[in-house]
Amino acid sequence: MNPQLQVLIALQDILLMIREAKDPTQTKALGKMGFKMTNVESLENTRENLENQLSPAILREYSRVTKRHGRIVAPVIRGTCHACFVRIPSAIDAADDRNKTLYRCENCGMYLYWVDK
Amino acid sequence: MKLSELVTAKRINLDLKSTTKDGVLEELVKLLRLSKPAREALLKTLRSREELGSTGVGKGIAIPHCRSLVVSEVTVAVGRSKKGISFKSMDKKCAFLFFLIVAPPVGDPADYLIALGKVAQAARLMSADKRIKSVKGPKKFIGLIEELER
Repeated sequence: MNPQLQVLIALQDILLMIREAKDPTQTKALGKMGFKMTNVESLENTRENLENQLSPAILREYSRVTKRHGRIVAPVIRGTCHACFVRIPSAIDAADDRNKTLYRCENCGMYLYWVDK
Repeated sequence: MKLSELVTAKRINLDLKSTTKDGVLEELVKLLRLSKPAREALLKTLRSREELGSTGVGKGIAIPHCRSLVVSEVTVAVGRSKKGISFKSMDKKCAFLFFLIVAPPVGDPADYLIALGKVAQAARLMSADKRIKSVKGPKKFIGLIEELER
C-alpha cells in the first residue's frame, strides 16, 4: 500500500473516532454499554503525529478536503466511490497498482481506497 | 441483528496465546484475514481506541471496537483466553472473552451503535454462563451463542 495512503486511512479513522468521542449522543450511548471515552487528548496527539507524516502537498489537500467534506479517503466497493457513489473508470478500477498509487475520485476529489474483498 | 448472525467459525479463536492486550488485538485482527497493510492500519486504529478508554467492560469481557475504512461491512471476531488477560477493565479483573467489532465508516452511525449494543448484550449473557469457558470448537461456540440469544 502507498505509505501516504496508509497514513490518510489512519487519519480518517482517528478523525471519525474524535468526532464520535465529542458527540454527546454517541458518548452517552456508548457509556450505557460500559465503554469509557475519556482521553480525547491522546487522539488529538495521534492525529497531529499522523498529519506530520504527510507530504506538504497532500497535507494541503487533506486540510482543504476535510474542511469541506469532513473526510479525505473514500472506500471503493464494487467499483464505486462510496463518498459520491459515482463509478470509478474501469481502467483505474482494474489497475494492478490500486492502493499502491494514490488515486483520487474524478467526481468528488477524495483519495480512493479499494477495500479488501 | 444477533451476535450469532455476525460470527463465523473462521473468525473464532478459542485458544488465544497472547499474554498482553496488544497481543490479543493482533490475534483478533488476524482472524479477519485482511491484507498486511490493512491489518496494520486497523491495529493502529484499535490501539488509539484503547488509548481513548479501555474497551474492557468488566465481568471478564472486552469488546475492542472501531469504525475503519479497511472493512466494507460490520465484521466480528471472537477470542477466548484460558488464563485471562489484564485489559484495564472497569472492575479491574482479567478479561477472558474478546469480541472484536469493526464497522465501515460509511452508513448510519446508529446501525453501528445498535450492532455494538447487541454484541455487548450477548457478551454479558455469555459471561454469566459457565459453559463458555469450556466449550470446545468454534461451531459448538456458535451453537452456544445461538442458544443464549434465543
